[in-house]
Amino acid sequence: MDRRKVLKQTGLLAGATVFGPSLFSLLQSCREEPRLDWKPEFFTEEEALTIAALLDAILPRTETPGALDVKADMFIDKVIAHTYDEKEQQGMRDQIAEFNAQCVKKHGSNFSDLGEAEKNEALKTAEANSGKFSRGVWGTAVGEQEPIGFYRAFKSMALWAYTTSEEIGEKVLNYDPIPGGYEPCKPLSEVGNRWSL
Amino acid sequence: MANYNIDAKKDMTYDAIVIGSGISGGWAAKELCEKGLNTLVLERGRIVEHVTDYPTMNLDPWDMDYRGRLTPEQRKKHYKNIRSGWVGADTEHFWADDEANPYTEVKPFLWLRGHQMGGKSLLWGKQTYRWSDLDFEANAKDGHGVDWPIRYKDIEPWYTYVEKFAGISGEALGLPQLPDSHFLPPMELNCVEKHIKGRIEKNFPGRNMIIGRVAHLTRPLNGRGQCQYRNRCSRGCPYGAYFSSNAVTLPAANATGKLTIRPYSIVQSVVYDDKKGKATGVRIIDAETNEDLEYSAKIIFVNASTLSTTQILMNSVSNRFENGLGNDSGELGHNLMDHTYRVGASGIVDGFDDKYYKGRRPNGIYIPRYVNLDEKTKSDKFLRGFGYQGGGFRGGNAANIESFGAEYKDSILKPGPWEFFITGFAECLPYHDNKVSLNKEVLDKWGQPTLSIDAEFKENEKALNKQIQEDAVEMLDKAGLKDIVGFDNEHPPGYGVHEMGTARMGKDPKTSVLNKFNQVHGAENVFVTDGACMTSSSCVNPSLTYMALTARAADHAVSELKKRNL
Repeated sequence: MDRRKVLKQTGLLAGATVFGPSLFSLLQSCREEPRLDWKPEFFTEEEALTIAALLDAILPRTETPGALDVKADMFIDKVIAHTYDEKEQQGMRDQIAEFNAQCVKKHGSNFSDLGEAEKNEALKTAEANSGKFSRGVWGTAVGEQEPIGFYRAFKSMALWAYTTSEEIGEKVLNYDPIPGGYEPCKPLSEVGNRWSL
Repeated sequence: MANYNIDAKKDMTYDAIVIGSGISGGWAAKELCEKGLNTLVLERGRIVEHVTDYPTMNLDPWDMDYRGRLTPEQRKKHYKNIRSGWVGADTEHFWADDEANPYTEVKPFLWLRGHQMGGKSLLWGKQTYRWSDLDFEANAKDGHGVDWPIRYKDIEPWYTYVEKFAGISGEALGLPQLPDSHFLPPMELNCVEKHIKGRIEKNFPGRNMIIGRVAHLTRPLNGRGQCQYRNRCSRGCPYGAYFSSNAVTLPAANATGKLTIRPYSIVQSVVYDDKKGKATGVRIIDAETNEDLEYSAKIIFVNASTLSTTQILMNSVSNRFENGLGNDSGELGHNLMDHTYRVGASGIVDGFDDKYYKGRRPNGIYIPRYVNLDEKTKSDKFLRGFGYQGGGFRGGNAANIESFGAEYKDSILKPGPWEFFITGFAECLPYHDNKVSLNKEVLDKWGQPTLSIDAEFKENEKALNKQIQEDAVEMLDKAGLKDIVGFDNEHPPGYGVHEMGTARMGKDPKTSVLNKFNQVHGAENVFVTDGACMTSSSCVNPSLTYMALTARAADHAVSELKKRNL
């Protein structure tokens, strides 16, 4: 059954964000493919599924929440919709399309439809071919900055979206909005995870 | 809550007018009010009340719609400011509107402005250092620019005076090239910084690495609270822990009952009376109503910020001063300087992975100037010198780690590697051809001429930068760091936000705009005590010197007024 058709018929693409169990099971029953249960402002459904799959592969749920648990995909959609200009938005679309085109070429389908082993392989390739950020001083890169590919830039954005979410920032990382003083040399064992702010 | 008197309608005449309410204007207002003068402060932007007008001071990233990212509309409004890297959604409201206030870069120059009460005192870096005779004698010794009309002994008591009220934390070291301030207790170095300090000082006799000297309270002062180590200073500090006009000088001025502050007042010019041979007032445009108004006063302090002050003087033409107020010398607008910036080295520190810190210290380390101090340290490659700021912290870019998935995600919740960097600030020589001029082709939102800025770093600054980078790499190498990267971002002037000069002090009216008490030659009841007055640029941060020069000039102004000399 064609996934798009079902979504159109059930009104999901038209903007329904809340739906009952019967619709849920209808979608579940006719396919195994990933689905989208929210309406993006910027992404197409296909792009949103790609972003979600990438986020879940890079920052999955472990004992702590994963990127999708903190709705990093929805936040990234909002950020691109409201803080990118048209040229930057088109650039994002083109890069996602190119990333998926590579997945199709190598593994036969878009990233979100790949099995776990294929996803891992695709990400390993991306890791090796995506450039590295130069170190920064006061927010500016130092030295020669090599070109950054889509994957590395997206990974950086994913980390930002994840670590600046309220749940991770307040409950998983060490949240201390008013330290009150400075302890210049503290055993890491007394702190644990890094400070969130 | 200060409840400022903003009603400047009743009275068009004051004892004193202060143009601008930033670091130096705030000091002028405080000193003049405390000496009993009815003082009008003209501020081109809005009122910013301490605490109540700091809307972002307590916001966490997730409290902001896009967690600090600017929208395309905001980036358009700040299309020049954003080159600095300092403008985010958390501070956007404190940076001037680039579209409404255009300027022309004949050569690349970043002009960062803060158009509100408090000006850039809300946004500054708080690094606070005294200048020394090494600085005040520099021009006389090597012949660049003109000699300063003052020496360290002239300003020393005024440094002490302003430091006691502003609150400067730091460590006394007795270095002649970087005189000690009247200090509150210093902030602390972290363990990596302490380690590197030891290695640098052992390997390079004559070099010191110290905690930055800063205008942050490390203990309460005059009702202001001490630093809480939040490092959200530029949003405005709810504790008033760092020095700003809004938290410190303007409330003090207001407490005298002598202060009127008029917001939305764009100064068009200083009015000069040819017959009286002095200035009689200030013409303004109301930024909201476009109304033209004229205020009168016996003395006028021009503290609009370096280039805005010069712009006002250039706009102030009369029969006596056809080329701008006080411009008999032809030097008005010339000798623009800034410090070179963002050139240095960065590296990774091993061996401290079990150590961390608590608190976000709004300060770093400082390496005072160590070249061209005397015959022994003399360089044959360049004149003057440089100092470094920097710091150690647990950073790293987790996006660079070639890994993903469960194990990776758990690892990024831990602190990254220790990084340490130093970045130099070099003195810029006063070149006559580094200049600004009035541009009558490009007008601002209120139809006023704007500035064309034509300045560049030259061979001496480039030679200094080369040495800064080489020395930085060498020091980090000897300190045992790995993965060291030397860098020079080759910033044009302006990025240091230490723009100085264009209305310099001097001994001779033929070659300078201001005298030794910051009075305009030929219009002695007009004082300029912001960065425009600087005769050379030193390599250390200038704001403390503006504060001291302002308090000194205000004292002189009132004493001359009493003697009926003005």
